[in-house]
Amino acid sequence: MTTFLVSIGIGLSTAAILSLSAVAFTLEYAVSRIANFAHGEFLTIGAYAAYSGQTIFHQNVAAAAVIAAAAGAAAGLALNFGLIEQFRGRSAITVFIATLGVAIIVENVLIIIYGAANVTYGFGQGKLHHVGPFLWTTSDIEVIISALAVAGIIYLLLQRTRFGKAVRAISQDRALAQVSGIPARRIIMQTWALAGAVAGFAGFVLADTVGTFGPTLGFGFLLLTITATVAGGLGRPYATFGGALIVGLAIQIAGTYTSSAYQLVFAFLLLVLLMLFRPNGVFVRRSAVAVRA
Amino acid sequence: MYWVSVITEAGIFAILALGLDVIWGWGGDFDLAFYGYLALGSYLTFVLTIGKPTPPVQYILGFHLPVLLSILLAVVVVVGLAAVIGAIALRNLRDIYFAVTTLGAVSALYLLVENYTPLFDGYNGVYGLINPGQTALNLTYNGYRIVFLGVVLVLLVLAYLLVQRLSRSPFGRMLRAVREDERAAAAYGRPVFGAKYRAYLFGAALAGLTGGLFAIFISAFNPSAWTPQELLVIYAAILVGGRGNPRGVILGVFVVYIGFIELTRYLPSPASRPDFAPAARQILIGLMIILMLRFRPEGLFRERPGLDRGPVPPAPAAAPASQRAAALPGLTSEERARREGDASKAARRRAGKTERVGKTE
Repeated sequence: MTTFLVSIGIGLSTAAILSLSAVAFTLEYAVSRIANFAHGEFLTIGAYAAYSGQTIFHQNVAAAAVIAAAAGAAAGLALNFGLIEQFRGRSAITVFIATLGVAIIVENVLIIIYGAANVTYGFGQGKLHHVGPFLWTTSDIEVIISALAVAGIIYLLLQRTRFGKAVRAISQDRALAQVSGIPARRIIMQTWALAGAVAGFAGFVLADTVGTFGPTLGFGFLLLTITATVAGGLGRPYATFGGALIVGLAIQIAGTYTSSAYQLVFAFLLLVLLMLFRPNGVFVRRSAVAVRA
Repeated sequence: MYWVSVITEAGIFAILALGLDVIWGWGGDFDLAFYGYLALGSYLTFVLTIGKPTPPVQYILGFHLPVLLSILLAVVVVVGLAAVIGAIALRNLRDIYFAVTTLGAVSALYLLVENYTPLFDGYNGVYGLINPGQTALNLTYNGYRIVFLGVVLVLLVLAYLLVQRLSRSPFGRMLRAVREDERAAAAYGRPVFGAKYRAYLFGAALAGLTGGLFAIFISAFNPSAWTPQELLVIYAAILVGGRGNPRGVILGVFVVYIGFIELTRYLPSPASRPDFAPAARQILIGLMIILMLRFRPEGLFRERPGLDRGPVPPAPAAAPASQRAAALPGLTSEERARREGDASKAARRRAGKTERVGKTE
């Protein structure tokens, strides 16, 4: 029973990071209608930016988080401006392949700058705490609280601001939004910056929880992110949090009872099952009819 | 001997690319599991040929079969795996969903092979298939390598002829019709899933064969030999040569492999940064993919689907005519999207600054 509760605790922490990454992924999809394969690279860029920044700011966690988010936002803007906008009107799969090319480029540029070997933060995980039935380190708690905070901010942004209204309009019909006087290009730019910032921050917390990381950090996390996104339903930001919860808990519990080496195998099998039976997300009643993204 | 090895490798990958082109070029399915089929074919060729493992090395089977029989069996198993993955991924899923599902499947396979050592000895991989049949054929080491190159080239020509023949056949045209417009093809009575599924199995069979050849070529195989990057190089080669055009695909592979191996040999590789040259090579591959997609998606050689040149049977006249109609446009989906894009751009110019109604999906 204790093992089970501990695995749920770790699962919640994983789900928190996953939800950050997945909500960013789904925001990108919502406004641009493309699956961004270079999304994992936003996480990696955030993690490395924080790594570069930590010496300047003397191991200040908050400063490192801000740097990671800023670097992620810059990467999001750059990708939207340099690639997504250039490929407008092309089929979704073409843009997908192009972002795959971007992922390869970014990963190898990071290898050239930082080397292929893993690097480590100097922050430490903090002490172990008993919170209710769970066992969490200080950074676990920070991760969960920050994920909840980000979720709240995104909810308020999308529901209570003009920007959010515009994002929702564009995600439903870009042309119609444009005709109604919404500056679609600018809103999409801002959305990519927001998504990049969230992803960069997610990369920092992911790297911090794992301990050491290398240039493939984000790419390895991408399939988990996609699994969580699909579980929630692509392009549905709130449902994504539910999807992340399901995936995070499922892989940690499965991993605890077999071997942690196989937890990603479970994630991918889960992805295949979702695609088979619930390609529109587990929260949608509609059964799996032909999905053509 | 250096060139023998370079050309052999390019020849093997050209066969692989021909198989992938049937799936992606003709069928339009962006398959990310494809390199897994080569890997499985390669692993199986090893464990069926090299005999029992000596502890602590461990792997399954460990037979002493003749190498040709091993490759044949490997192809059968690979097609079996492709039948499962294809049945899941091709039934209802398209485009990104298909790509992501195949990526999930191959990642699960990869992690399983890497972590579950009783299968193929995990990270260490399998090795020890050194020039099978060299003594029987009474050849020197170098002589064997040259003969092997000859075998690969003969197989490449055979694969080319087969694919070329298939390209002009009703099956090839049906596959392209399905790619261009599934609903229209289905309305003309074409089995959409059946066409895609058969193409998928055919491509996987070629990948399994390539895995066997690859096993003989490098005589060792472990997880670092089938990272996702390897597949991207094949896709880049197809993009450069011309998606859907078998001749272009072969040319693309030779251009990318030989051109890149030769070009990147002159990259500086300082001792302090041993990662520099391979990383720079990957960056060039990524750039090539993006630039080709952006500026010349049809590649060096345009796709040329064969038209129905045979005599048209008098009755029923409707069927062949509809086949022709489906195949005639001769445009890849990319080109069509671009032309539509151009037209809509003009329309947008006329209509002021309103954006095109989003049919990018």
